[in-house]
Amino acid sequence: MQTIATAPVLPLDDILNLTLEAGLLMHQSGAGTHRTSAAMQRIAKALGAARVEVMISSTNIGVSVERAETASHETLTAFRKAPHMGANFAALSAVRRWLHQLEQGELDSQSAKLQLAEIARRPTHYPRWAITAMVGISCGAFAALFGGDIPAILATTIGAACGMAVRFALVLRHFKPSIFATAASFVGLLCTGVLAHWFSQTPDAARAASVLFLIPGVPLINGASDLLNGNYLNGMVRFAMSAVIIFGIAVGVSIALRILG
Amino acid sequence: MASWLLELWAAPAALGFAMLFNVPPRTLWVCGSLAIAGHACRKLVMVLGGDIVLGTLCAGLLIGIVAEWWGSRQDQPGAIFAVSAAIPMVPGTYMYKAVQGLLGIATLPHGADGTQLLVSAGVSGVTAAMIVIALAFGVAAPMLLWPRTAQH
Repeated sequence: MQTIATAPVLPLDDILNLTLEAGLLMHQSGAGTHRTSAAMQRIAKALGAARVEVMISSTNIGVSVERAETASHETLTAFRKAPHMGANFAALSAVRRWLHQLEQGELDSQSAKLQLAEIARRPTHYPRWAITAMVGISCGAFAALFGGDIPAILATTIGAACGMAVRFALVLRHFKPSIFATAASFVGLLCTGVLAHWFSQTPDAARAASVLFLIPGVPLINGASDLLNGNYLNGMVRFAMSAVIIFGIAVGVSIALRILG
Repeated sequence: MASWLLELWAAPAALGFAMLFNVPPRTLWVCGSLAIAGHACRKLVMVLGGDIVLGTLCAGLLIGIVAEWWGSRQDQPGAIFAVSAAIPMVPGTYMYKAVQGLLGIATLPHGADGTQLLVSAGVSGVTAAMIVIALAFGVAAPMLLWPRTAQH
């Protein structure tokens, strides 16, 4: 691993901060534990640390950096809370580019810090209404994959978009996953079920597809990937998070099915 | 033939999730094409006589390896294509059936026999778990099989 030759040696707490910030951003944007840990090692080494130890749990992230010099031996450790794990793949992509530039020595510490803060602040690429509509279409596509007819696809598209709108509204009001999954799956299935009941020959395909927008794909795949990579605790935590959401979906579905009959 | 055209629906199914995960706009087409390729690969394996778990494993491997290769060419993390493209194969219906069966047990009248519900819920749940593991193994395969090159 190469080290960049910055004229004044970077203070150890700057290395620590930058590594933690980047790691936190990756962790919260949906990177697996293995990738986050490897990236943090590379960042700290690129900035001039001699030895790096990373600890990533589901809700905390910590790093310890060391620098051995002839005169003195410094070690610093810090932890941050990582309150929630979401998915923001554009941020992952940007952090990867940033790390590349850092390793090539194209960024000094000041501009690296500014650029990282800018990546974290960047708004999402797609407006909320576009995501809502596209997620509706996405569930309509699931209905087609399950063998639904055209009215079933349309009913699922409309119903799932309503459910997605409810989900966004509740997430913005800081409701927990168990609550927003229940409410959104209830609304999604009820709208889809009513429309499909009137117009479609294959209402079952529409019903099964209408709540799939809530399936926690990123925690499920990252959880299994963590388990396979030997990060057992984090893998189990991600599976537990997914299980709570799936249970919420099931509760919403069972209430809606009682109304639909 | 019409049933193969059905596989094209995997692209919109993946794109909705890709937008939800805020994938960079220039990479949306990769996510969509990989989703179609993966879903069609699973169908091919099942047409040739394989089961859904084997089919998902092959599809997951295809998606994981192509995503890593394309990602290293384009200087993007391969995982962003792989995860979006794998989403249409997440076994939502099986999970939904499993939990639905378990909730059916809750509404049983006192003293009734719930064996049937428990067995059907268990079968769906185990199938769902195996599909997820197969899919995740495929997506994580480049990192597991080439640990030195696929670092980040």
